[in-house]
Amino acid sequence: MTNLSTNTKPTWCQGCYNFQILAGVKNFLEKSKIGRENIAIVTGIGCHAKIFDYINLNGINTLHGRVLPTCLGIKIGNPNLTVLGFAGDGDAYAEGMEHLIHAARYNSDIKYFVHNNQVFALTVGQPTPVTEVGFKDKTTPQGVKIYPLNPIKLMLASGASFVARVFADSKQVEYVLKEALKHKGFAFIEVLQPCLIFHPDISYGNKVYSLDKVGHDKSNFGQAWKRAQEFDYNTVKKIPLGIFYQTQKPIFEEQFPQLMNLKKNKIGWKDVKR
Amino acid sequence: MHNMRLNILFGGEAGQGPNILTHVLGEALMKQGYYVFYSRDYQSVIRGGHNFNVLTFSDIPVYSNDSQIDILVALDENTEKIHKKDLKKGGLILKGHPSNMYYAGKLFKILGLDFKILEIELKELGKRFDENIKESEKGYKDAEKSIELVKVSSKKSYFTNGNQGISQGAIKSGLDIYYAYPMTPATPVIGELAEKQEENNILVLQLENEIAVINAAVGSASTGAKAMVGTSGGGFDLMTEGLSLTGMAEVGLVIYLSQRPGPATGVATYTGQGDLNIARHSGHGEFPRLVLAPGDPKESQELTNQAFYFSQKFKIPSIIISDKHLGESFYTLNENPVITASKKLISFGRYNSYEKDANGSAAENAEIIQKNVEMRLRKAKEIEKEAGKFEQYKTYGKKNSKNVIVSWGSPKGAILDSIKDLDCEFLQVLYIEPFPDLKKEMEGKNLILIENNSIGQLAPLIAEKTGIFIEDKNKILRYDGRPFLCDELKKEIEGRLR
Repeated sequence: MTNLSTNTKPTWCQGCYNFQILAGVKNFLEKSKIGRENIAIVTGIGCHAKIFDYINLNGINTLHGRVLPTCLGIKIGNPNLTVLGFAGDGDAYAEGMEHLIHAARYNSDIKYFVHNNQVFALTVGQPTPVTEVGFKDKTTPQGVKIYPLNPIKLMLASGASFVARVFADSKQVEYVLKEALKHKGFAFIEVLQPCLIFHPDISYGNKVYSLDKVGHDKSNFGQAWKRAQEFDYNTVKKIPLGIFYQTQKPIFEEQFPQLMNLKKNKIGWKDVKR
Repeated sequence: MHNMRLNILFGGEAGQGPNILTHVLGEALMKQGYYVFYSRDYQSVIRGGHNFNVLTFSDIPVYSNDSQIDILVALDENTEKIHKKDLKKGGLILKGHPSNMYYAGKLFKILGLDFKILEIELKELGKRFDENIKESEKGYKDAEKSIELVKVSSKKSYFTNGNQGISQGAIKSGLDIYYAYPMTPATPVIGELAEKQEENNILVLQLENEIAVINAAVGSASTGAKAMVGTSGGGFDLMTEGLSLTGMAEVGLVIYLSQRPGPATGVATYTGQGDLNIARHSGHGEFPRLVLAPGDPKESQELTNQAFYFSQKFKIPSIIISDKHLGESFYTLNENPVITASKKLISFGRYNSYEKDANGSAAENAEIIQKNVEMRLRKAKEIEKEAGKFEQYKTYGKKNSKNVIVSWGSPKGAILDSIKDLDCEFLQVLYIEPFPDLKKEMEGKNLILIENNSIGQLAPLIAEKTGIFIEDKNKILRYDGRPFLCDELKKEIEGRLR
């Protein structure tokens, strides 16, 4: 059992759902046999990114929107590392959108968590690409006019080999991290994480249900596509949670003999003698 | 004895093969012991248009072309129309045949060279040997020897361009991963390195854009890999946020910036030196960096190597600034580059784009901020000191002349060729950042600035560092996308000597 705690006092708001995500990730990794030195975490910029300071792992608290190329670079730098990326919905769906689509296409063995609170929280409440029509803040006094993006559909269409959505509950996060790590390739995990201050959840409650409990076949793309449409991020009727889709595709790292050699010898480029 | 200097222009449509023809002839002449230089002028088209190369060769070192041509090889009618005005009195026009290698044979005969040498070159070329040899034999038969070359003895030389210099320099420095997105004129480096990736156990990757490129490179570099990226101005602009990240996170990275002319898309396949200021100042915030400007392929190797050395030792970004003219022109060199070994000194830990505390976590504390800033300032001083161990500038020509030409980068070639019998010294700046102490070299001199841009970006840097201003009338600036030519430049310099 590894202790991954840090001395930094969390500055998330009291009761923030980010604590649930931190707990889920930390609980799992502290129990896992991967070993601290074999894990890398990358975070973007926003409330979610504070997780970097509360979990004692190597990695980069990188620029806004650039979590995925940074993860890819770390994985290529040392393919033996378990690489976990954390981003906000602003990071993932606004500033860094181009990287998201390509990450799904590359299928590098990276696990990517999007803390989706449907708002830019750390910059005090502006809408993101997944904010519902009609949402108002100081920058949008007339209300949001543009219909939100459905990231689950986007990831399915982009060829992601693992597409999941969970609620920000430590048990759900732990479960999905375990499943994502078992998966070989890129894992897209959206965590619905309502912001208590700028986008408080009042209506998710009984509208969420688990895909596991309705006999969903995660290997069936058609079923996944259908389930993905049940929640359009605009109005809340039904929200399916769990793994929408999982399939096996060629992994980025495995396409390059140079990287396979590093993997075989359990080293990174740093250890390559020239 | 009078030195020989001959200019041959090869022109045609893209796809007619003027490049292979120029290269085959250039290599053959180089192997005979001549000094050969050729530049490429091509448009952003795949087929058609008008492309031409000018090959200049001599019995003494040559690094540039002239505006006046001795032999015009016209693979199409357009070439003759466009370039006839540049033909010297009594110059030759070779035309009217569709095959490029026909002219190789013809030129060999005209220059009185042994056909066997051409045969060896065509064998080495490999592709379409039978057809090439047949055509060149025909050309050889169709011509008479009409130019008497100064005899030279063969020597150990190599024929190379700036982009090969960058690639070789990176490989010799222990490059692990090269990331790029295609952008002329930096693109050939991707191909150079990709071709050699398996034999050298390096990885070459093209990602979705320059933003991904630099951030992936930062990721790899943070694990301890020696990483490098390459681009031109527009792509470099996209990378500058990542550049700033390397400064803050203290991750060593080598960046190849190959200039093309103009803002925005500018002129994709032509040359210029308009990006000195962005190399120096791009990226927000204050952080140390290295900016190095090679002037030939050998310096491209050496400065790429030094870029790795500094990036590893000081965990900083190092920028190598070059351009299309240096990157794609072929030079005859006969000295080997000096290579300094650089250890991999970066190891994986907790990196941050925020100002950070001792644990690598984000910090807003005033004391920590001040401490970090002062650490970066100290580092800049250490880099300055370390740079003193390397050749930060070079001087050529007449020592102690009252006339001093100052330049950086690719104009070096045309300057060296044009000052051979002029009363002037030439000072080439290799280290843009940290800038060498040049006050003593410049004080009281008649300074003449030569740059391939419209505002003379080196001049304000010199003024900033030395307090010495270069008069506007002493600035020789070319900004039409073309490189300096020896005969024209010589006249420009002569008019400014005192």
